[in-house]
Amino acid sequence: MNNNLLPTLGSFILLVFLQVLLFNNMHLFGFINPMIYLLFLILYRFDGDQTFFILTSFLLGFCIDFLSQSGGAHTIATLSIAYVRPQIIRYAFGVTSEIPTGFQNDTRRINKLIFLSIAIGLHHLLYYLIVYFNWDAIYLILKYGLFNSVFSLLLISLVLSFYKK
Amino acid sequence: MQRILNALVQYRNSLLYIVLLGISLLFLNGKSSFHQNQFGKYSLKISQGLYSWTHQIENYFRLRKINDQLLQENKTLKGLAIRSDDLFLYPKTFSNKRRFGFEIKTASVIKNSFLNQRNYLIIDKGSADGIQTETAIISNKGIVGIIKSVSDNYASVISILNQDLKINVRLKNSGVFGALSWKGSNPKKFIVEDVVMNASLEIGDTIVTGGMSSYFPLGIPVGTISSFDRNSKNGFYTIDVDLFEDPSQVYYVYILQNKDKEEINTLKQDISK
Repeated sequence: MNNNLLPTLGSFILLVFLQVLLFNNMHLFGFINPMIYLLFLILYRFDGDQTFFILTSFLLGFCIDFLSQSGGAHTIATLSIAYVRPQIIRYAFGVTSEIPTGFQNDTRRINKLIFLSIAIGLHHLLYYLIVYFNWDAIYLILKYGLFNSVFSLLLISLVLSFYKK
Repeated sequence: MQRILNALVQYRNSLLYIVLLGISLLFLNGKSSFHQNQFGKYSLKISQGLYSWTHQIENYFRLRKINDQLLQENKTLKGLAIRSDDLFLYPKTFSNKRRFGFEIKTASVIKNSFLNQRNYLIIDKGSADGIQTETAIISNKGIVGIIKSVSDNYASVISILNQDLKINVRLKNSGVFGALSWKGSNPKKFIVEDVVMNASLEIGDTIVTGGMSSYFPLGIPVGTISSFDRNSKNGFYTIDVDLFEDPSQVYYVYILQNKDKEEINTLKQDISK
């Protein structure tokens, strides 16, 4: 874990600042703010310590919330995705023997896409559910969740493809 | 202890998740007044359901107390009803109010036999409550019996479901008298004998207590005529009566204590001298 700590910490800080200073101010089409910080949830090693992961995810969400003056929606959504990530990995990558040690160590495009879609989609849905916190706004929640998920997915895929090279 | 620790270690991620989720919900609640309102709304909804549920349960356990209250209220109302001038048997022709010489008390039935030929009841009031023997017991919709003996806290009652007991009754419309007694099988089926032939009667007529004994006051509704037949041999009607209330299904009763009983008894003794 020690040799992972530094990159984890570095990406943590970088992602927080990127999100708060840049991507939170995009307001694409008036309501689209891609969430780049989800990269942290995706790139954390699959065989890494889950407890540490949940704790850092909580801190990540907390920092984003704290710096962007939002309630606690980022924290709850990020924390929940971190908690269910092993299940998502198992679902997306299949049986135990085939689970890679990290997202970038795998070459199966479809599985990676499934993993990204589920993690991002679920996170956005949860996020907007908490932000609106009202069943009457379910249409709005679904709409925002869907569009933002698509843009976050595009952005994160783009960054991941650069990162590989 | 080891097991608890093991369990803690095993479920540390879930526990951590729940704790952190709780913290973030608190954070959310504290930070945003909108979410505070929403939380308030949902908690109100949940607690409303919960409270109405517990309220129902509470009500169920209060039923006994409510029953007692209703019984007290009924007692007062029963007194008013029997006493009232509007009752048919206290006609306006008397012009002045007729004296109502009975005191009303309530009691619960703790034993009610109805399978024998001579049945009895036990009620939970006795001499400590001022109950005397030879006192009438009525229920909501009819008569129940007469007190036979009294202990400190209980009294035994000869049920009208007793073939030896004859109760003085009269027809509400024609005013003729008869003697009511039990047929001995169905607790609602009674007969009235010794009704004179020249009276006119119809099926469905109401039978009320006659007031000729010192037990029952005049005019307590007892039942209706279901059929009758002329007995040409002795010149009396025999009438089948359906009671308003099944005496075997009585749980709360009213005790009618005749306040003038001794006065009447003295007069009776004077006559027999």
